[in-house]
Amino acid sequence: MPDPVILFENVHKSYRDVKAVDGISFDVMPSICFGLLGRNGAGKSTIMRILYRKAERDASPRATVSVFGLDPERSELAIKCRSGVVPQDDNLDEELDVTQNLNVFARLYGMAAARAKQRIAELLDFMELSEKSRANIRELSGGMKRRLVIVRALLHEPRLLILDEPTTGLDPQVRHTIWEKLRQLKRGGLTIVLTTHYMEEAFQLCDDVLIIEKGQAVLRGHPKHLVEHHIEPYVLELTDATLAPRAIERLPKGSARVEQSNGAVRIYAADYAALTAAADQLPPGDHHLRPSNLEDVFLKATGRRLDAGQ
Amino acid sequence: MPVSDPRPPSLGWRLYSVWFRHMRVYTRNLVSNGLPPFLEPVIFLLGIGLGLGRYIAEMDGLPFLVFLASALPVTSAMFTAAYECTFGTFVRLEYQKAYDGMVAAPVTVNDLFIGEILWAGSKGLFFSACVVVVMALFGALPMPLGLVAVPIGFLTGAMFGALSLVVTSVVKNINHFNFYFTGLLSPMFFFSGTVFPIESLPRGLRPLAEILPLTHAVRLTRSLVMWRFSAVLLADLASLVVLTLAAGYYGIRRLRARIVV
Repeated sequence: MPDPVILFENVHKSYRDVKAVDGISFDVMPSICFGLLGRNGAGKSTIMRILYRKAERDASPRATVSVFGLDPERSELAIKCRSGVVPQDDNLDEELDVTQNLNVFARLYGMAAARAKQRIAELLDFMELSEKSRANIRELSGGMKRRLVIVRALLHEPRLLILDEPTTGLDPQVRHTIWEKLRQLKRGGLTIVLTTHYMEEAFQLCDDVLIIEKGQAVLRGHPKHLVEHHIEPYVLELTDATLAPRAIERLPKGSARVEQSNGAVRIYAADYAALTAAADQLPPGDHHLRPSNLEDVFLKATGRRLDAGQ
Repeated sequence: MPVSDPRPPSLGWRLYSVWFRHMRVYTRNLVSNGLPPFLEPVIFLLGIGLGLGRYIAEMDGLPFLVFLASALPVTSAMFTAAYECTFGTFVRLEYQKAYDGMVAAPVTVNDLFIGEILWAGSKGLFFSACVVVVMALFGALPMPLGLVAVPIGFLTGAMFGALSLVVTSVVKNINHFNFYFTGLLSPMFFFSGTVFPIESLPRGLRPLAEILPLTHAVRLTRSLVMWRFSAVLLADLASLVVLTLAAGYYGIRRLRARIVV
């Protein structure tokens, strides 16, 4: 077994009386994509920040954080020159153009001018931004800014890429482009850690996910494995809750699990034929029968109701 | 672990690369940023020197124009450094989130703000050099002795950069900087021996003038430009350095808590 790139053991982080991270442990193996899933405020971003010492964990002899075998609080520079970070906000320098933004970072990474020039050209091409190399930041669309921040994080050929919500707020086309680029990078051997609350994104990209809720680990595994083992295979969704009794009475007793939230009802079951028969009793239009997915696993694991903090 | 582990850039390189970022942004608008430091002293000379100068021939044993000209390089450095490390820093910190992006690269928060103080010093140097050039052209500063104001401009810029970082670390709202400029820097401009010698202040107020950081920069510049030496100048130089270090240390500590959360 190779050494893990990231090791997190029993890590806590409190802000005044809020426990943002409450005893989290996980490891990330090389050249995989690891996803931290959780709703807003679950503690995902805090975990990411602890990796490069943008946040400091609560001091405790039992807590360990190791990135490339190094503790961020002792070796922050050594970790950062092996890692690229894409923060949640696109904090590009609006006073500089695209190439100048990248040049400033190439200097911060300690790159020689010739190598910087070559990497900037390569990566702008890779992210399909070559035409924008002299554009002002304000002229860029949201998707272009996001891709540019990814280019900025990759300049120094990091071996770990840390992405905090890489595609939040982007349209489906851009999202798929970014996913494809990240897959290519992973095939090239890059280790990727990302946070997201899009289950589709986690399912498309991640080899390993950790679902967290209120700073605690809830569920861990390969997305496909989680869908196969942690949820019934099918779900009948009803947008009109008053129809639920009619559907449920058709199903064999104890064969289905019913969840109700926000006026909608979801009936989870393993028996596709029985769910189809139940659905046939209902007026068309108000229901939808489909295979369960990672979102169902996520909602089951984290509870359906909204939190006060959300 | 793979064999070819990259090595983090040296401290000198990290400070240089932070400085380079500010330099790059500043020189992007060369005309609008580079002209005012020349224009301001010209306007000052015309407005005060030619106007007021007709009524006041001498100040503290010097021609009034020379008296003014030997202080203006450092007051110019003070104002530019103060703007840079209050409004400039605050915008980068709170609105642009520039520091959040930069600390993802191999630099520490300390590097960021030491680089920023060095940048404030560099701007002070540039602004005081502009003033020296203008004053020399008008014959208001003896040359080449007037050039000593340029390195003192660097020290003054760094000192007010560091002091302003402390102010920025306290301020929650960008409008509160008005208190600093109107309440502290403007009075400092008048009561630090810039336009009249602090010796003419009422006896009770003189110790207060000695506390003002600008007093030391002005006395140091004026004395050296006139090639007059005294032991007080060593104390003035030490004050500039000690204040820079103390304010820098305290300000960076406070700002660090706003970035590393």
